Amino acid sequence: MAGDTASPDPDLAREAIEYCYEHDWTDGLPVVPASQELLDRFLAQTSRDPDDVLWRMDHLDRECTVRTAAINAAMAGCLPEYFPIVLAAWDAVMRDRAAKGGGWQSTSGPAPLIVINGPIRSELGINSTGGIFAAGFRPNATIPRALGLMLRNAFGVVPHVFDQTTQGIPGRFAICFGENEEESPWEPLATETGLEPGINAVSCTLTRTYEFVDNRHTQDPEQLLNDFADTLSRTGSLIFRGQSAGVVFCPEHAQMLANAGYSKADVKDWFIEHVGRTEADLRRAGKDGVSEGGPAARSASELERAPADTFTRYFSARKDVPIIVAGARNAAISMVFRVFGEWSNTSVEIESAKTAVAATKGG
Amino acid sequence: MICSDAFRATADAMAGVQGAPGYRYLTTPHPVAGLTPEQVRERAEAVADEVAKMLAGEGS
Repeated sequence: MAGDTASPDPDLAREAIEYCYEHDWTDGLPVVPASQELLDRFLAQTSRDPDDVLWRMDHLDRECTVRTAAINAAMAGCLPEYFPIVLAAWDAVMRDRAAKGGGWQSTSGPAPLIVINGPIRSELGINSTGGIFAAGFRPNATIPRALGLMLRNAFGVVPHVFDQTTQGIPGRFAICFGENEEESPWEPLATETGLEPGINAVSCTLTRTYEFVDNRHTQDPEQLLNDFADTLSRTGSLIFRGQSAGVVFCPEHAQMLANAGYSKADVKDWFIEHVGRTEADLRRAGKDGVSEGGPAARSASELERAPADTFTRYFSARKDVPIIVAGARNAAISMVFRVFGEWSNTSVEIESAKTAVAATKGG
Repeated sequence: MICSDAFRATADAMAGVQGAPGYRYLTTPHPVAGLTPEQVRERAEAVADEVAKMLAGEGS
């Protein structure tokens, strides 16, 4: 290859990739071999000290520093410019009580759902329209993968040992997209949670299931909402007294509801009222019992606890029903997702590269 | 310490992390979550002798 600077040596590249496999640093797919030079470019994107501890898992006696996060983001295939988003996504998901409480090691194998707001979406080419849950976009694919590699390589949460996942969520470390603010009739998620409009921000929570609602069949908003309520009310993932579940509305569904006069809060209130099951349904599924004290876990009750037509609502407040708008406007297909534990209902501002440079110079 | 046998690998790894590799514990067949109180009692009876032996330091 002497004299040929245009095309890298694929055999050398493969050798480095295989080296990473041999050290068990991958999630099964090839990783990008990280050099010191590449690592430095990632670290230049943040004002945080490389030795800052992002998170410590005391029970595993392991921690992840900013430097370790950068190495894993690089290996995941992120560009250096994505690194502040990776850091913000980690901070956002760790506000989730379940993530702090061992959720990453749960038999449910919960998936982080990462939603990005602000102009950074277009600046970095983050997909917020067609195919948000599908493949094809580098930041959407590599940012969540970085979190998965951090768990594996920094905390040692690997399958069959500390990762006790029974089956896991399909695409567990591949769910990351921008909110389609341009075609949403409602305020962006990060604005709803209290940040100024136009700020680059990440919202993230652990999730336990995804199921889409395909309804191109009605113009009646109540019929549409009832179709969503049916999916939201499933008993399969109900393991505590109540649960939290949300909707990633496609623009068409969101606009139809908005045109009928529904604000985002109105939709949440409608779901709070209508999502749930009767005592007879819960009993049929063996989930009519609720333990006293503790986490209020469901079980099959020996005795009937309430009249068969008693309706149990799953949601108790608007924060239990996160609503996001994303996807293409080419069909009326939306996604229902269930929150693993309890979403923090907050968003984390993404540090801008300019801030990072200024802070580095200043320090 | 008693755990269900499906969690052996994790329990062994946790023992290592906590500075006690090879820590001895007892197991009961998985699953446990759906058992009735009566079935839990039967499980307890099944391991009671082993618990007593372990506490007495026998068989280590």
